[in-house]
Amino acid sequence: MGILLFISVLLIAACGLIYELVAGTLASYLVGDSVFQFSTVIGTYLFAMGIGSALSRYFNRGLVYRFVWIELLLGIIGGFSSALLMLAFAFTQGFELILYALVIVMGALVGLEIPLLMRIVRDRYQFRDVIAHVLTFDYLGALGASLLFPILLVPRLGLVRSAMLFGLINAGVALWTTFLFVQQLPNHLGLRAACLLVICGLGVGMAEAKKITATAEDNIYADEIIFARDSRYQHMVLTRFKDDLRLFLNSHLQFSSRDEYRYHEALVHPGLAAVAAPRRVLVLGGGDGLAVREILKYPQIESVTLVDLDPEMTKVFSTNPMLTALNQKSLISPRVHIVNADAFPWVDSSTDSFDFIVIDFPDPTNYSLGKLYTTAFYRAVARHLSAQGFLVVQSTSPMFARDSFWCIAQTLKETGLQTYPYHVYVPSFGEWGFVLAGTHPYTPPTSLPSGLRFVTLGGLPALFQFPPDMAPMPMPANQLNTQVLVRTYENDWKDISH
Amino acid sequence: MKVGRRKFLGLGSAALIGLSLKSEPRIEGSFVNDNFQLGHLLRDRAVFPSARRTEKFSIVIVGGGIAGLSAAWRLRKRGFTDFVLLEMNPQAGGNTRWGENEITAYPWAAHYVPVPGPKAAYVRELFEDLGVLQDGKWNERYLVFAPQERLFLFGRWQEGIEPAVGLRQKDRDQFKHLDELFAGFRASDAFTIPLELGLSRKFAGLDRISFADWLQQQGFDSRLLNWYMNYACRDDYGALTKDTSAWAGIHYFCSRQAEEKGPLTWPEGNGWITRRLLERVGDHVRTNQMVHRIASSNRGVGVFAGDTEFRAQFVVFAAPMFLAPYLIENFQPLHDFTYSPWLTANLTLERLPQSRDAEPSWDTVFLDSPTLGYVDAMHQSVRTHIDRTVWTFYWALAEGTPSQNRQLLLEKDWNYWKEAILHDLEHVHSDIRQCVSRIDIMRMGHAMARPTIGSIFSEERQRLNRHSGRILFANSDLSGISIFEEAQFHGVEAAQSALARLQGHPA
Repeated sequence: MGILLFISVLLIAACGLIYELVAGTLASYLVGDSVFQFSTVIGTYLFAMGIGSALSRYFNRGLVYRFVWIELLLGIIGGFSSALLMLAFAFTQGFELILYALVIVMGALVGLEIPLLMRIVRDRYQFRDVIAHVLTFDYLGALGASLLFPILLVPRLGLVRSAMLFGLINAGVALWTTFLFVQQLPNHLGLRAACLLVICGLGVGMAEAKKITATAEDNIYADEIIFARDSRYQHMVLTRFKDDLRLFLNSHLQFSSRDEYRYHEALVHPGLAAVAAPRRVLVLGGGDGLAVREILKYPQIESVTLVDLDPEMTKVFSTNPMLTALNQKSLISPRVHIVNADAFPWVDSSTDSFDFIVIDFPDPTNYSLGKLYTTAFYRAVARHLSAQGFLVVQSTSPMFARDSFWCIAQTLKETGLQTYPYHVYVPSFGEWGFVLAGTHPYTPPTSLPSGLRFVTLGGLPALFQFPPDMAPMPMPANQLNTQVLVRTYENDWKDISH
Repeated sequence: MKVGRRKFLGLGSAALIGLSLKSEPRIEGSFVNDNFQLGHLLRDRAVFPSARRTEKFSIVIVGGGIAGLSAAWRLRKRGFTDFVLLEMNPQAGGNTRWGENEITAYPWAAHYVPVPGPKAAYVRELFEDLGVLQDGKWNERYLVFAPQERLFLFGRWQEGIEPAVGLRQKDRDQFKHLDELFAGFRASDAFTIPLELGLSRKFAGLDRISFADWLQQQGFDSRLLNWYMNYACRDDYGALTKDTSAWAGIHYFCSRQAEEKGPLTWPEGNGWITRRLLERVGDHVRTNQMVHRIASSNRGVGVFAGDTEFRAQFVVFAAPMFLAPYLIENFQPLHDFTYSPWLTANLTLERLPQSRDAEPSWDTVFLDSPTLGYVDAMHQSVRTHIDRTVWTFYWALAEGTPSQNRQLLLEKDWNYWKEAILHDLEHVHSDIRQCVSRIDIMRMGHAMARPTIGSIFSEERQRLNRHSGRILFANSDLSGISIFEEAQFHGVEAAQSALARLQGHPA
């Protein structure tokens, strides 16, 4: 009986640590600021354990009976804690409130466990042995859990199922206890039924965990996350649903593999096909290599320079088989030169000239990105245009962010370029806009590369027509000292989301 | 048992935190650019070597701050080369000195110039020379980038420094009323930059009371309004409203057009202008030349520095006026010049502090802090990703008397000021100690002339302003307010005066 008892100690110690780790990890994953999250979650958890220990003195009779119930409660609450937190983040405004309430309840229950257990076994052993054995197994369990968690549990099971697995262990310990201490439990059959009920509940939870996460992530990420990485510059998440791959940077959708060809064909071909004998092309942003894929469809192009801030991004899109299938290995083409640099300083320092320049940055959601949509930036870029060259700018949605779109168009115009705004419908984005600009008038192309799925010669003129709901708005140019675009963009999207 | 368990979880957790959080980094640094030792030699009438060599120039400029460099700029622009500029420090620039590390260049003092109005013709001329003003347009890269300023008050951030949150109706009414009064002063055209061009006796009464008293007389008792007025006076004059002439307080708000765009600024502050000026006149500049005596005679002026006598027809005295009685023979003691002591610090940040809901701004100010906050040297960078930077921290020691504060600057060690600075920043950036790797501190006992009551219309000041005699005074002290435009104006005017008289025209 002795060793079995102490194995329970090992198991419940592991459970206690896992719930704490799950709460801390989820909080840092969802809210960010991991030092703050871990520190406050752990602090609160330990404090709550103190509360539990203090409360243990009020448990006088039926210690085994109560211990079983505590294990069951912990199994349910701890086991579902991760799922509950995900749902809370996705559907409520009170994530932190629920997080700390859960941490306090779990901590208090964990704090009750060991004092009760020690009192249960105190008559069977000498006091010094109780201390020595319980402590030893307690520490062993915690060590095991802390190693398992990052190495096996999170990568293999994920946070939701890891918590449930340990909920099952808590319930298992409860059931086991009913056998170990059967003499002290007059109502052991009822208790065993309760244990089985909890085990069933958690088992179903394990099996259906995907649905729970899916429901929660519908509001965070719609699909299963197959790849997530924090680089120095951004949070990259790749999701998949059947054959649809989606890339999110800092939670903003960058493309969906189902319709990205519409976006990238429209970004590249109306401009590039209109350049006489293009040889050298520059892509700013666009580390996914999808614009480059379109550019490489022109055999006469000798070199493509891709400037993207994030080496992780270009590395992943050069090596991950799913992604290289999507960009047709464009980034490892010998014609492509990748430069990992901040675009504005690079543009300032480079002396190269290009026949076509693609500017494909994330939307101007903050003042840092806003610098890349200013007259100062476009002036610096325009210096790199060859005589016959054009540049094209990803210019957010003329439908949802109409003011922003026309602000970008005006900014380009202000630098003395001739501008040709156009738009395209991309199902996963909605109406999307681009501005083509050059130092000379634009004449639509007379031929296109073969094999395009969206852009056609016949369809081109329609792209340049704006219906009344997207028609030009009088907007000021965006400058480094005003950054009107960032405010405009914020207002545009605020209007939509209400 | 409970303890053991708790301890285990605690240790495990500590290890987890330890993965991302290292122990508090050591903060290096020292005092830099100290020059009071040289000043004290003059004050204590130390014995200097007698002249063993003589050099002759038509014009000798004493002082390599903006006034002196502007005088040199004007001379060179007129094709005149027979002059030398003597600077006592190893680096020219005075209040526009700058520093540089592997992250960025940064200012040691003055860090911006407001977009000059039409009256500041010399400033506009200079900026056309330097490519800051091209075809009537200000170069976008030199206008301060958005967002410009933020104020931390009542536990949150707001854009701009004039308090806009937490105002009661009374506060709002008073801010509005004050704006109306200022609009009237502005329309009078008497509060101009350069100051001398608009100076009108009509408003001399305002120079006879303190700004604090004037505000009180007008019924302004709003706490936030008074904080803002005090902030403005500390920022531009290093003084509280009670120690500032009302005329000067009003000038701060009424000398510029209300709708002007953000100031011109550079990573190294006005050091950028100094660099450009040095590119043009650097051949004439001699640093580490501490002038210790200036003696006039019928034939000219002797300027003694080290063991050399520089003989000149005219001297442009562009050093701070408080040095004049110690340097110039038979010079009357001065009474109307008071100086504000300052401290600036440059903090090297290995990462930016966590800042909830606020994008980094150019200038950051904290309500009710005795300091002036800090300016971010990387703000004018066009990079989109900035992880390391340098903050220039400004602290005008305005509470108490200037002499007490000078004493404090001398007595307290680097560690004292380092802690004071971190303590001030910690109110708002709780993780600042984890971010900062270095704090260099510059102490300036006489950082700028202070426009005390009566100083603007002072007889003494006006007498020194007349370019009679062979020593022409040029420091911004002559305006009574220490700003770039005034220094440049006096430098250029003195140079023109000297040139005219060399060519036989009357003063």
